[in-house]
Amino acid sequence: MSTGTSEWAIETHGLTKKFGNNVAVDRVDLLIPRGTAFGYLGPNGAGKTTLIRTLLGLTRADAGTMSLLGYDVPKHRDRALARVGAIVDEPRFHGHLSGRQNLQILAAAREPAARGRIDAALERVGILQRANDRVSKYSMGMRQRLGVAACLIGDPQLLILDEPMNGLDPAGMHEMRDMIRALVDEGRTVVLSSHLLDEVQRTCDALAIVDHGRVIQQGSIDTLLAGGSVVLKVECSDPSQAVTLLTQQSIGGTVTVAGDELAITLPPETSRDVFAEIARVLTAHNIAIYRLEPVKTSLEAWFLQVTSRLGDPQ
Amino acid sequence: MSLTTDAVPAPARPAPAPTDHRGSPIPTWSMITTRFMELRRRRGLMIAMIFVTIGIPVIYAVIATTLHIVDPKTYGPPGGFNTFQGLSVGVLYLFGFVVAAALGATAGSVDLSEGMFRHLVITGRSRLALYIARIPAGLGIVVPLVAIGFTTICVFSVATAPTTFKYGPASIPAGLSSTQLQQWAADNYQTVVCVLPYSQPTPAGVDCRAYGGGGFNQPSAPGAKPLTEAQLQAFARTAAVELYPDYSSRHLNASASLMVKTGLWIELEAIAAFVIGLGLGSLLGQRTIAVILMIILEIIITPLASRAHIPHLINVQRGILGVAMSRLRPNGITAALGGGGGNDFHVTESLGVAIAVIAAWLIVWSALGAWRMMKRDA
Repeated sequence: MSTGTSEWAIETHGLTKKFGNNVAVDRVDLLIPRGTAFGYLGPNGAGKTTLIRTLLGLTRADAGTMSLLGYDVPKHRDRALARVGAIVDEPRFHGHLSGRQNLQILAAAREPAARGRIDAALERVGILQRANDRVSKYSMGMRQRLGVAACLIGDPQLLILDEPMNGLDPAGMHEMRDMIRALVDEGRTVVLSSHLLDEVQRTCDALAIVDHGRVIQQGSIDTLLAGGSVVLKVECSDPSQAVTLLTQQSIGGTVTVAGDELAITLPPETSRDVFAEIARVLTAHNIAIYRLEPVKTSLEAWFLQVTSRLGDPQ
Repeated sequence: MSLTTDAVPAPARPAPAPTDHRGSPIPTWSMITTRFMELRRRRGLMIAMIFVTIGIPVIYAVIATTLHIVDPKTYGPPGGFNTFQGLSVGVLYLFGFVVAAALGATAGSVDLSEGMFRHLVITGRSRLALYIARIPAGLGIVVPLVAIGFTTICVFSVATAPTTFKYGPASIPAGLSSTQLQQWAADNYQTVVCVLPYSQPTPAGVDCRAYGGGGFNQPSAPGAKPLTEAQLQAFARTAAVELYPDYSSRHLNASASLMVKTGLWIELEAIAAFVIGLGLGSLLGQRTIAVILMIILEIIITPLASRAHIPHLINVQRGILGVAMSRLRPNGITAALGGGGGNDFHVTESLGVAIAVIAAWLIVWSALGAWRMMKRDA
């Protein structure tokens, strides 16, 4: 795993980071292939930024292994990060210096060629004309762009962008998405951390959904969108008895009651025969069925369910 | 739901081996120069540093010279040894420490407080190299500024130094040998009798009214027999012999050797202040408290530690940086703080101990600052 030629841009196994009793990153296994735009999606407080900080060596992992671009971290951290660019949280810089001077400081910490990439990076993110202004006069969006430029001066193979759309206006967000796609087209890997499914959906090829520090689903966007759970809504004459019956039948889902309606949540690939079996069981016990409707739960709906628990105890 | 992270074909592009020594603790030249730039462009801090190291001596020079030009009888020549000592030890040594410490604390903490530390760590560069780069960068500001300020003081104190020594209202030419001083006394016996200090009874027969009683001597006893001119000249020669040890110990100016030693001593103190401030700033992660602690050390703890007579804590007192620095103070100049108060006690220590104490301060605080930087979450 330490050759630098792995097919994975990021590889983690059982990665764990705790803050006291709070497990911010909980046994995360990630395999992010090179040359993709990969979304790391989760609600606020899910542990996205902590995972990124752990990957970059900004904080120490408590357990597990990880590698970036095939190099073990933290053992070969310097080699791994030589071709990694990252924005973590809100990008902040020395306010009394210009954008160009800030990049000069960062370029000096990289290889000598990095200094020669400053203008190109500034131009690519669209702030070359303001490069000599003091950063304290930059808007939030301009600082985001400067943060991306700071990533680009290292000619990175892997970019890790934490909420890069923050502070950008709609046009800026559009440009950022285009730039991310262009970077991927150049063969780079972009990991986009966000709490906005729409943003990830528009930009990424694959994603991992994280909650309470754990990766709960991982895969290509198409696969995940196609694989939402099925909720069978049943309006019947005796919902309480129906719940008892269906629970005893082990139908492979969970049954809840809302008013006169049952909501039976089933796995995504549930066959129609299961629906028929449910109907048969109910009618066999003289429960009248007025309506039986399978509703496919989209990933977005499911994700909204997850993100709607903001403020819950972690 | 299936886990298909390989939905997009992986290009398996190998990462090129880095061409630099990013993990090395030795900073590159460009890391030092860009760090220098970052510090130099802190306008408020630079103005404060320039004001203290260069501005105060220049302002003093302008005011004292103007007063001397306007009213030379009241305000003597503004330069000379006392001015050199007052400005170099009283101003540059004391406040140079504070501003050098402030610069060090700034260099040690602003990357963290301004959010740049994270960017720097992500480059993969050794954190130790990031820390070490700040030392030459900061010293590149501190050392020249102190040198310029000190040179200004030296030039001013020499250029505007008086040409005579003042003994009360009398002025004696500088640089006389014992014989020459006796001859000068014989030629100016009236001044000697009326003004200069001597242990013999004051001779009669000299009219001292012109000196207005501003000398060291009481009028002679009524009825005393007036001396002849030759006797007065002989008396003056004897008084000159008596005066010579004090006369020869006075300096119109600091010698070149003393200036060099004093300059190096002040530079050493400013360097120590910067390095310790850097370590403390890095350790605490913020500037204000670090600067306050350094000021307390220099302005409060050091004078107390150097003058307080506490037998049980004498070795602790010797371990204070300012006390050790005081041991290295060149002979011929007095302490910056701690004089007066009717207490002549000073903590003493050997030269070796003083050097060891200073080295320990530099090493320990640098190690603490570097350790914290290497271990800190970014």
